[in-house]
Order: sequence, then structure tokens, then C-alpha cells
Amino acid sequence: MTIPAEFQAVVLAAGKGSRMLEFTSGKPKCLLPIGSKPLIWYTLSKLQKSGFTEVIMIVLEHQKTEIQSAIDIEIEKNTLNIKIDYVSVLDDKDDLGTADSLRLKEIQEKLKSDVLILSCDLITDVDLSGVLNTFRKYNASVTTLFFHSQNLEHSVVPGPKSKFKPEKDLIGIDEQNNRLVFLASASDFEEQVPLATNLLKKHPNINIYSTLVDSHVYVLKNWVIQYLKSEDNFMSLKGELIPYIVKRQLSKVPKSTDTNVSVVNTKDSNDIFSFAVEDQLEVDIREASPYSYHKGNLGSTYSDDPIRCYSYIAPKGSIGVRINTLPAYWNINGKIHEIWERVSNQTEMINKSQTAEIKSNQIDDKCIIWDEAKLFEKTSFKNSIIGAKSTVNSFSRVFNSIVMNNVVIKEKVAIENSIISDNVVIESGSKIKNCIIGNHHQIPEESEHINEILTEALMHF
Amino acid sequence: MSKLKQSVTKENVVQAILVADTFEDEFVPISNNLPLCLFPVVNKPLIDYTLEFLSLGGVEEVFLFCCNHVNEVKSYIRKCIDEAVGWTLTMKVQIIVSESCRSFGDCLRDLDAKGLIRGDFVLLEPGVISNINLLPLLKKHSEILQNDKGAAITLVFQESALGHRSLCPQDESLVAYNNKNRVLFHKKIQKSRDKKAVFPIFQEIFLENSSVSIQHNLRDTHIAICSSSVLPLFSDNFDFQTKDDFIKGLLINEEILGSTIYCHILKGSDYGSAINNWRMYQAISLELKNKWVYPIVPPTKRNRVIPEDSIYSLSSVMGLNSTMYRSVIGSNVTIGEGVKIQDAFIFDNVHIEDDVDISLSVIGPGCVIKKGAKITVGSILGQGVIIDENVFVENTLVQNRPSEDVLAQPEDKIGEFAYRLRACEDEEDLNVDRILAQKFSRLHIHDESYECEYDSENELSDSSEELSHTYSPPPDDTKLFFTEVIDSLTRGYEDKLPCDNLILEVNSSRYAYNVTLREVNYNVIKAILIISQKLPSGTQYFSVMTQMLCYFSPLLKNYIKNEAAMVDCLQAVEDVAISESDLKDKWIIFLLKYLYEKDFLNEESILKWFATLKEHTKLHTQVKPFASWLQEAEEEDSSEEDESE
Repeated sequence: MTIPAEFQAVVLAAGKGSRMLEFTSGKPKCLLPIGSKPLIWYTLSKLQKSGFTEVIMIVLEHQKTEIQSAIDIEIEKNTLNIKIDYVSVLDDKDDLGTADSLRLKEIQEKLKSDVLILSCDLITDVDLSGVLNTFRKYNASVTTLFFHSQNLEHSVVPGPKSKFKPEKDLIGIDEQNNRLVFLASASDFEEQVPLATNLLKKHPNINIYSTLVDSHVYVLKNWVIQYLKSEDNFMSLKGELIPYIVKRQLSKVPKSTDTNVSVVNTKDSNDIFSFAVEDQLEVDIREASPYSYHKGNLGSTYSDDPIRCYSYIAPKGSIGVRINTLPAYWNINGKIHEIWERVSNQTEMINKSQTAEIKSNQIDDKCIIWDEAKLFEKTSFKNSIIGAKSTVNSFSRVFNSIVMNNVVIKEKVAIENSIISDNVVIESGSKIKNCIIGNHHQIPEESEHINEILTEALMHF
Repeated sequence: MSKLKQSVTKENVVQAILVADTFEDEFVPISNNLPLCLFPVVNKPLIDYTLEFLSLGGVEEVFLFCCNHVNEVKSYIRKCIDEAVGWTLTMKVQIIVSESCRSFGDCLRDLDAKGLIRGDFVLLEPGVISNINLLPLLKKHSEILQNDKGAAITLVFQESALGHRSLCPQDESLVAYNNKNRVLFHKKIQKSRDKKAVFPIFQEIFLENSSVSIQHNLRDTHIAICSSSVLPLFSDNFDFQTKDDFIKGLLINEEILGSTIYCHILKGSDYGSAINNWRMYQAISLELKNKWVYPIVPPTKRNRVIPEDSIYSLSSVMGLNSTMYRSVIGSNVTIGEGVKIQDAFIFDNVHIEDDVDISLSVIGPGCVIKKGAKITVGSILGQGVIIDENVFVENTLVQNRPSEDVLAQPEDKIGEFAYRLRACEDEEDLNVDRILAQKFSRLHIHDESYECEYDSENELSDSSEELSHTYSPPPDDTKLFFTEVIDSLTRGYEDKLPCDNLILEVNSSRYAYNVTLREVNYNVIKAILIISQKLPSGTQYFSVMTQMLCYFSPLLKNYIKNEAAMVDCLQAVEDVAISESDLKDKWIIFLLKYLYEKDFLNEESILKWFATLKEHTKLHTQVKPFASWLQEAEEEDSSEEDESE
């Protein structure tokens, strides 16, 4: 018999990157190159550093092999040492929400302990122990991790000029005890934000932030997963489930949940409170606790709420970004050299892969060359990433750009400030500046493009 | 000009304005003879504490603004200077008299015209007791002024747990401020004691600031640091009557007036509060006694602290077997034997005879309470009242001469030198807010009431869980509705309009204010009962009341249609019976009997309701005979009752 782990980690990697389809169509979002590693590596190595040896990863069925092989490469290189349990979901539905994927039978069966949920697109230098300890400290039902918004702007983002407007959340946190008491998207409201009186009464000192960024790192009590199974209405964690729980924690417990079992079974079996039942020991501990919940208030600990949401705000100055938009992706790659040490858990940065075939002698220190890339003589590279198995022929230059895998760049091509996705072929003599080129795109000879998005996937926009 | 300016900055005297009068009748009847600032607080005049605080806080010049009882205040200040009381050594006190001022705002306008204030200054509302150092606050305010030229005022708040005795529910407010302590939103919740499920706040407040603190547990200390722009702002906006008006006006017209408000929140051992009603008087007395305001402490020389948290002046005499609990006894008080005093404040020169029972009350100076009298629950006795033997006084204001009011009634006379004072009803419009405010401002009877409300509110919003912002009728509207119903019915009754028209009127107001049916039932009945209270009393009273009820019977029929409505009706009866302190004897029995006989109420609902009443209350004892009569009738004739259902 094995002792169950305190937390089980689940990484949600079945997202499609719908906010940056320009270059994620046809490629798993979690494999986008960030510096010398695929995006997912950062999350996995963070988990590994926090002591997780096993992780459940939800991926799309048709991307499973690709992701698995990419991760296996890292494991072989010994930069990752973590056991991954892949759970694949079919891509038949239009969009499988984050909450939907946790409702899968396979996942439900695997989750026995409290759950740490991460998305695959997180890059941060914040240790996960902060959020886990907050969860432990308050015996919370839900704990979230927030970052202060940070300015990582780097250089002009490729593609047509557009004003990027970040989505804002309104996040209310009890100043005295970190309890998360209000969570809503700013777009939910028009002019006025209604604050419930019972919220103000229970939490007389709230701080409402509009600039915090949700990391999509959630620690959930196991009952939340059970509850999710019985509640089909929630699509996503961030948009629906978490705000719902945050709201419900303030309501009064319907009476006689534990004393009269039959009532629970017949009447309100789907009510959240019939899931959020504390066992007798927890109740006893809570009742015996002298912990003063609010200064000067002699009321009971946690005001006897069985559901409690807390938040951990990463210290100011720490790095925390979700790579879910084009600007975020572009900016993090521009800064990766500066922040590498902080976000990579002291892994050594390998700029030029051993297996790459490099004949060029004009490569500056900031370039990162992936495995089996082929760089011919008389090519020039500055501040760029050249993906695995990509080829750059003579008399071409690549400045300030990201070239992904299996790209073929013919002779006399000039690429500047652009993102070139997988399997692109750029014929000779082309000039590309500030562009995004989508998967499998072919650029004919002698073409010139500035500030464009060249991709088939965007036809429907 | 520049020369003058130089000389002014050279002086750089720290100035404070202290307005001495409240302009409200919170402290009637005692304040009829004694200005608030000379009220004894743990046996020392209130103003002594305030001035001591100001001088310790670093103030060098005080403008004491007086409108009433000017001579008493003047002579007291002179006496202090003669005796060289501590604060007189470092601080100059100038008394400014203006008997024409009718509000706080008027005083400040008057001061603006006099041009005495030179720079930033400290502004105190009446009754402040505090121990904070003002100089750091003034410095902070001037720093804010450097960054924000429009900064007009820094309000000083103190954190206080909700439901704490020193956080008067009347002062409960919601304050939102950003990380620079700039106040973005300020609303007094108690003003209407509304039970709104939600508080709408403009979203731009949140989006324009990275973080906004929303605090609901702040107590206004009634201390503020003001820029020199404050007095001209009062002069320019003659509708600013109080500091609350000022705050509201500045926040609403931020762009027009170009002025901003900041706040400072006291923490740790800093203390600030103001006596602006009896409840705060009680709370602050207790805190002073327990040295929460150190180094501001009550006088220790002439006082004796006795067990059970009481203090009494050494010049007072207490008889055998008398007990005291959490009370303050002034000087030259004589207390007989077997007297019980609990949570009470006895001012100077009071004479209490044997076996008197006083609780949760204030006994004004020079009162005489004769043998066996009982004075309880929030009674306030004015100067020189004489309570006769074995008289029972509950929840009343008493003064020593008949009220000059037209509404004064013969039965207000309790004794030759004791007349009941009607504080609320002398207003022409019966303002529910005021009654409530009054009720809450009386002496504090433990925390129970607050907790109950808190719970019920919780439940309220629970049921509206899913979409709490669509939760129906904001109670503000319900109150408006109620006043409107009273208006309609009074007018209808006077002009003898057909009741059908009244029903139409009530229903249209109902839709205008979006009130639920049950609230309509409740409020209509309540309105009728309130009107019945205003009928001329005397021997004819009940026959007039019968006529009135007869007149309104189509209305009653229309609104008391089912069991639920009966419950609402009885609730209204109960509320009126409890809130109206001077019900005619047998009023309730008469009313219930009438409603029962005319089939508006059935036995079952009355008995059910009776069962919910607390035993040993006045109401319970009054209703009891009727209930037992009903029970007997029911037993005798149960078959008929079934039919009537």
C-alpha cells in the first residue's frame, strides 16, 4: 500500500492557443519554442523543482505523440526528471473547456488527493510552495496564484499593428487574511460594480485589484473535482467554476447537512455545500482554534465557512507571464536571456545544440540554435531562435526572429523581426520584415512582405 | 502684501477649529440647560478632554465656535485659564460667538468671513476625544498637497470591528480609497439603515487604480486636517451644512470643484472618536474609564473606582446594600439604600432615594428620584426632573416642565416636575429614518440586536444568491413608499375620499417604488396604525378609532386577503406597538378585537403570532388576556372556526 500524495498535479495542455492562432494552428501550443526549450518544459521543470515526481497531463489525442516525443527529448537530455501520465482527449468537440477536461472519467478516477492545476503556458520564477502553503495554512478549498502585472515589452511585435488590450479582472482580497472574496472579469460589468452587503459585512476590509494577473495555477480540494462531476454547466475554471465558488463561500450553509444525511441525499445532492463537508476532526480543530479571523472580531474562526477561497499574490518584482497571446510570446522570447536563470531553475542554458550543423561564423551570443538545425556558410544571425531541423542556406540572414522547426530558408533571404512557424519554406531572394508566417506556408521567390500575417489558418478571420 | 505673507509664514502657528454645538437634538432634554461641551464625561467636562488632546497634539491656537450657552462656556474657559490647567500653558483658545449660525457649515462660513485661518488647520466636530499627535498628520497632509494641489481635506478614521460598541451603527460607512489614500467613494450606510443586497460602485474607480481598498469597519473620528481651501469651499457652496455634505459634494463634483479628499487610518494605540449621541457617550465613557485613550484619562484625584467597572465621585454618598455596575456617578450625589444602578450615568447633584432601580439611562443634573422608582432602557432625564415614588419610566425622554409643543398631550405628565418629551413626533412629516436613527443612538443594549440583523441580512442575500444584483426592492424605496402611503391615507381620511381611490393610489405607488405585495400589506396596515396614533386622545378616542377603522375597512379587506397577509398585518401591529412608546392603554387589545370581530384576522393566526412574542414583555402581557380569551372560545366552538377558515 502506498501513501497517497498530498497533492496531485494536473497540467492542462489541450488548449489550442486560440488567442494566437496565427502561429499555433497545426502545432501544439505547449511546444512553442521559448529560448532553447518548448513552452511546456518550463511548467514541468517548475513542478519537478517543487517536489512533484508525477504529473497528469491532459493533451489532445492527435497531438499526443508530438508532445510526448518533444518531452522525451528533454528527459533524455536529463533536463527533466518527472513521470508523465498522459491523458488524451478527443478533439471532436469545438472547444473543450478547462473544467470540461477535469470532468473526464479518466481524470476523475485518477484524482484521489487535493489537486494542483496548472496550465501549460506559464513562465514564472515564483516558487509553487507559496500557493501550496497558503492552501495548507488556511485549510482552503481553493487557492489561486496571482501576479502583479509586469511590463515585459521588448521590441515591435510582428504582424499588422494592432492595439493590444489586456483583459482585466477585478480581484477582491481581504486585506487581513488573504481570503479571496471577489473575482470577476471587468467586462462582466457596465458602469457599476455591485458589491454584496454581506460581503462587506463579513469582510470589512477588502482590497480590490484591477492589475493582478491570474496565473491559472489553482489548488483545489478534492471535493471540488467531485462537485465538478455533478455540475455540467461549468465550461472553464477561470471563467465559471472559480468565480462561482468564490461567490458561494459567502453564503450560509444550508442547515442540517451533516446531522441528517437523508436530507442531503434526497434534496440538495447537487448543492455545493453537500460536497464541501468538513470531517469532524476539521470542525473540531476549527472550533478549538483561537485564530482571530479579523482584528477585533471575536467571531468564530473563518466565520464557520466550510468553503474558503484564498489567494497568494506573488511578491512584487517576480516574473509571471502566461504565454497565451502574441505579444506575450514575442516579449518573453526577447527577454529570455535576461530572465533565463530565474525561470529555468538553474538549468544551464545551451545556446547551440551539439547536434546542430553550424557552418556560419556570424552568430551572436543571443542566438539559440536547436537540435539538428543546419546553418550554411555565409549566413548571418542576430538575436534569433532557429528551431530543430530547420535549414538556412547561404547568403541569408535572420535578425531578431523566431524560426520554428523544419523550416527551410533558401538563399539570399532576409528575415527581420518575424515569427516563422513549422514547416515553412521561404524561397530565395525573399524579404520578410515584421511578419508572422503560419504553418506549412510557402513564400515564393523574390517576394517582399512587411507587417503581414501570412497563413492559411486565418482565412476565417 | 508680500511682507504680510512673510510674517504669516514666520508665525506658522498650528491652528484648530473646534465647533462646540451639534445643531441636532440628540441630547435633548439635558442639552436644553447644558451645552454639550460641558457635559461631564467620567466626571470631567467634555471640552477639557478635547482641549487637552489638541494641546498634546501640537495645536497652538484654537478657535472655539459657540452658538448656544455662550456664557457658561466662556466662564468655564476663563476658570481653566485662572486655574492654569495644563492645556492653557501651550495653547491659546479664542471663543467665537455667533448665535445666528444654524449648522456646522454656517460656522465655517462665518469663520471664512472673519479670515482668521492662515494655512492648513485641524477641524474638529463637536465632542471629539482623542490621543493622536496631530503634527505628523499635518505634515503628511502638506506632502499630499505638494503632489495634488487640489487636496482639500484628510479625514481621520479609526479601524473598529463591526458591531463593536464604539462603532455607532449610525456612523457606519463604506469608504473606498486607492493606494495613495485618496478617497474615491464614501457613503454612510446607516443614514437609511437600508438592507440593500448590493452596493454599486462605479467600475472606473477600480480600473483607474491598480488597487482600491474598501473598508466598512471605519469609525469617523470627526477629526480632519484641512487645507486653506476648505473654508472658501464652504462659502462657495452654501448648501454644505455638514461635513458629510462637504464630502459628498466634493466627490460628486470632483471635476467642477477640483478638490480631492484623502484619508488617514489610525492604527495601534491611536484613538479617536467623538461623542455625538448617547450611544457614543456611553461607549467613550467606558473606554476612557478603561484607559484606552491614554494619556488622556479621566480625573483620578476626586474619583473612586469601585469594583464592577464603576466610578463615583468622592463627594457622593452611597447607602447600604446599593449596587453599581458599569456606571458613572457624578459629584454630590446621594444614593439611598438598596439602590441598583446598572449601565447608567448619574450627573451631579442628583438625589436618589431608597430601592430605586436605574438601568441603561442618563440622569441629568439636579434630579430627584423618589423611593421605589424604576428607570430603564434608554431613558434620559433632563435637569431638575423629579420622579415620584414607585413611578416606572421606560425608554422616554423626560424634562422638568411641560413641553411648549402644540402636540403635547396631558398624559405626558409623569409628575409635577416630570414631563414626557416627544422627540420624534413634533416633526411635521413622520420621518422613519429619524425614528430609527434615534432608536439606534440611544444607549447600547449589548450586541444582540446587531448580530441578529447581521444574520437575517445574510439570509436575505442568500436566497437571492444567483444574481444578487437583480435582487428586488431596495429598502430605500420601501421607506419612500411607506411615507407616500401615509400621506395618501391621511389625506384620504381627512377628505373622506372613497377608499377605492386610495387603493388605486397605493397600488400606483407600489409600482412606482417596486415594492413586493407582502411589503405593501405590511406598510398599509402600519400606516393605518400610525395614523390611529395621531387621533385626538381622550375618552372619545376609541370611538373615533372605530370610525377610522370602519372608514378604512375596504382597504383592510383589499390587503388582508390570506394567511400570509394576516401574518404581515400582525407584524405591523407588533412593530407599531413596540416602537410607539406611549400607546394608549388597551389600544392593542381594542385593535386586535376589532380586526378579529370584523374577520380580518382569524384565531389561528393571532394565536400563532402570540406564541412568537417574547414572554414578560409589555406587549406580551397586554395581548395575553385577549389570547387566552380566544383560546377558550376556540375550545368551546371549534367547528365554527373551521368554517371561518
